[in-house]
Amino acid sequence: MTINRRDFIKAGAMAASLAALPRPLLAATRPPRVSLPAITDPDVRELAMRALDAARSAGATYADVRLTHEFQRQFSANGFGDAETMEVGVRALVQGYWGFASGPVWTPDEMARLGQEAYHQAKTNALGKTRVVDLAPAPVVANGHWATPVEIDPLQLSPFEIMDHLTSLDIYTPRVNPNAYVGQNSCAFTWQEKAFASTEGSYYTQRVCTGAGTLAVVLLDKKTGRRDARLVDRLTVSSVGWELYRGQPIREEIRRLVEELEEDMRLPLKPVDVGRYDTVIDAWSVSKLLSETIGRATELDRALGYEANAGGTSYLSDPFGMVGTYQAGASALHVTAERSAPGGAATVKWDDEGVEPDAFTLVKDGVLVDFQTTRESAGWMKDYYTKTGQPIRSHGCAVADSAIDAPLQQPPNLTMRPGREALDFDAMVSGLDDGLAVRDLKADMDFQHLNGLGTGRFYEVKKGKRVALINQAGILFRAPELWKGIRALGGSGSARRFGSYTSKGEPAQAAPHSVTAVPAVFKQLTLIDPQRKA
Amino acid sequence: MSRHRDRPYRLGDAPRILSREECDAIAERVFRFARGRASDTRVGIWSWWQGEMRWGRNRVSLASDRRDVIIKIWRGSPFGSYGSALTNQVDDVSLEAAVRAAERELDLMDEDPPAAYLPPLPTLEQPKTSIWSDATYGLTTEARGEVARALVDSAEAKGMLSAGYAEVRAAAKAIISSEIRAGRPSMFETPYTAWTHAQCSMTVRDQQGTGSGWAGLSAYDWKKIDAPALAERALDKCLRSRNPVGLEPGRYTVILEPQAVADLIESVVGWLSDRERAEQGHGPFVLGGDDVLGIVRTKLGLKVVDERITISHDYADPALGIVHEVGAGTAPVTWIDHGVLTALSYPREYGLAMLGESSGLRGTTGYRMSGGDTSIDEMIQTTKRGLLVTRFWNVGTFDEHSLLSTGLTRDGLWLIENGKITKPVKNFRFTESPLFVLNSIEQLGTPVPVFRPTASGSGELTPAIVPPLKARDFSFTSLVDAV
Repeated sequence: MTINRRDFIKAGAMAASLAALPRPLLAATRPPRVSLPAITDPDVRELAMRALDAARSAGATYADVRLTHEFQRQFSANGFGDAETMEVGVRALVQGYWGFASGPVWTPDEMARLGQEAYHQAKTNALGKTRVVDLAPAPVVANGHWATPVEIDPLQLSPFEIMDHLTSLDIYTPRVNPNAYVGQNSCAFTWQEKAFASTEGSYYTQRVCTGAGTLAVVLLDKKTGRRDARLVDRLTVSSVGWELYRGQPIREEIRRLVEELEEDMRLPLKPVDVGRYDTVIDAWSVSKLLSETIGRATELDRALGYEANAGGTSYLSDPFGMVGTYQAGASALHVTAERSAPGGAATVKWDDEGVEPDAFTLVKDGVLVDFQTTRESAGWMKDYYTKTGQPIRSHGCAVADSAIDAPLQQPPNLTMRPGREALDFDAMVSGLDDGLAVRDLKADMDFQHLNGLGTGRFYEVKKGKRVALINQAGILFRAPELWKGIRALGGSGSARRFGSYTSKGEPAQAAPHSVTAVPAVFKQLTLIDPQRKA
Repeated sequence: MSRHRDRPYRLGDAPRILSREECDAIAERVFRFARGRASDTRVGIWSWWQGEMRWGRNRVSLASDRRDVIIKIWRGSPFGSYGSALTNQVDDVSLEAAVRAAERELDLMDEDPPAAYLPPLPTLEQPKTSIWSDATYGLTTEARGEVARALVDSAEAKGMLSAGYAEVRAAAKAIISSEIRAGRPSMFETPYTAWTHAQCSMTVRDQQGTGSGWAGLSAYDWKKIDAPALAERALDKCLRSRNPVGLEPGRYTVILEPQAVADLIESVVGWLSDRERAEQGHGPFVLGGDDVLGIVRTKLGLKVVDERITISHDYADPALGIVHEVGAGTAPVTWIDHGVLTALSYPREYGLAMLGESSGLRGTTGYRMSGGDTSIDEMIQTTKRGLLVTRFWNVGTFDEHSLLSTGLTRDGLWLIENGKITKPVKNFRFTESPLFVLNSIEQLGTPVPVFRPTASGSGELTPAIVPPLKARDFSFTSLVDAV
């Protein structure tokens, strides 16, 4: 059996004939390069089986293989660029040790080599001391297929249409205010197709579409020469198609941002008055805080020290002693996780070890009740799950960038439960007599995701009004105290979802996930000037 | 190096990295697919292999062997716009599809705006440099496994937990132009270059998580990395850092180990690489605007740091081998000479346009910082009260002019009182400028290679040789009770 890439040849011939056409026609035609051979092609399955056979006959007790075919197109207002990659990676388990081998070649011989090499990698380490891996049971996926539901496939559109759309935003912005313009303006869409097979008999194919855009609105104050910029926050990474832009109220967003920038420019600029303040934080910033604290600290491998030499460990430093009892925040804090919400940046049908992720709760009414897991790490939670009458199963958080990378445990989509009252950011500010309001926060955490420095856009609030913009401000916080200090949470109408990438591992891999958060009021945060020396 | 450069690398049937001949053959095939108005086809080919070993909680958690190819194809006129596309497949159909994609992108661009004409390089001057090691390329999975087990054993014997990562890498790159191959001028080619890289680092923690010690090193040559010594160091630091006490933030005399110095001055080193940005008014090396001439003056020729500091690069230094950048000059470079800013790097285009020079000045990809002869022990003995810093983490810059930065200490911080290390100290966040530190130096030690693994993206070598130093009045701004 060989992959003769017949479909590629078809695509190539089509491309050649199209090259002779005049440009407008070419532009209107859908790009000749499509994702072929189709991932659902039986030949791909044959390749996968070849890799598994090689690992199994070498002696692996378990093996899985992934083949990924990725097509990415990046756009700016005046150009676009294509990238296409195909990878295959085989993972083998031998006496409790993992081995992995990967490369770009999709041929039967290479599958056999990679299968053997993955075994060899594992076996070499199995010569050492005992290590035990109990993979949590996972139902066999028999020939599943799933694709991200996409309204408008961005790679089936003419690239001109997308470039024109970006250009139109460039043109629109100065119409709102002649001193406003678009700074960065770009987007990228990726289709990644994947075939997964394991020696337990699972086989699935999956196509995931990911889109993300960057659009910065800049306002220039002609009098002072001061410039200020904000990002349109609804274009963060998510599993959607061109509907990320089309049909979305992006012009309204630009108008709102320009108005807010105008408002900020009218506010007096004040230096930091160091002290402790009740603080209203917008949904974007709360999502960053959640992602960077509880989102990272509940990675079980990190909590146990597997990331100690990379990004670090976790302030949930005794995971088995803490789970079920540790007060992670106020009782209003309730955090759930899933990888199934439509459009979520981490949304898939199956993870990178063939598990269908479940919806689970990480923090229940303020108490830590679970961790993010893979099939291996779910087994580490055995005692707790048994004691609490829960099944021992992976939460489906095994993720790899592509098949060239071995899967790691990465954060799923997280959702914070909104408050009961119909509050939003503005209402919270109105209700604050004396304190701070924060937007566009960036949280800079330590290597246990415990102590943070938050920098961003800080306002002084007096009697329910933003009365000044505070220059060079920051908050210092400790994660547990931050979440225990929740005074109020925004209502369900104020909930927003934002996607971002988190990175871990050696070599480092970044994975996208979404966090749905509401604005919140926190008690007595410490305001500092982060640029002031001791 | 030359002995290996032309050897086709093969492991069984699968190439680990592509040979020069293989790159040439791929480029020749790509050239044939070119259609349309563009005359030049440039083919960039990068290939890499990595053998990796990662461990946590005293056991190897993953051993891996990975390799990949990236082929970037540009289509355009030799001195105008280029469209480009990327693939990692070398079959004809994939290559042709990438050529078409590059041409589609080119079609969107304006008709060749006359770009700055760059005369072809008279010769492709290639420095003699140490970037290939058979010991790195030949370190087998078995050998890596033995190394990892030995490193873990020393920590485990003391009841500690070791986590770490060792990696050996080989990579090659070439950029080949159809115009140049046909004897016509074009912007440039990048000759085939192959290099190796090795890194090893580990973190040892106690079971309760009250102490953490780190050690690591990177080099093109695995033989230059004494892994057992690193393990011993990380373990020793872990044991001595347990149960730290909290100190008040404030100004302290600091003794920075070489790694901490390298972590701290990364922003200084980065800005040394960009003369053009400085002349546009950016960064720490701007002196100010000259209203009469309407230009920005830089600090070139002025003293910017302590006169004991020299920052330089020489291809002849076997510990500073870097992948040569075409047109960026091969002569030794000194950016800071006894405290005086003597050079800021620039690309060849800038050299031609602004300085009338035929070549650029390479950046600080690899550098050596001068030192002194005070050992760290002597620095400690001569300190009444101060802190010893193992390394910094997550250093970010607030202000491009002052280089005021913030970051954290990590994996070993100790209080020194009356010439002795007295106790481990909880970590701090600092708010400080590396330029302030380089102007507050009391003592300097012997420069040594530090952990500065390959550049992300390009995977090229970024070696640095840096001394330990003692400096006054380092500003620690808040306590960080993370270990």
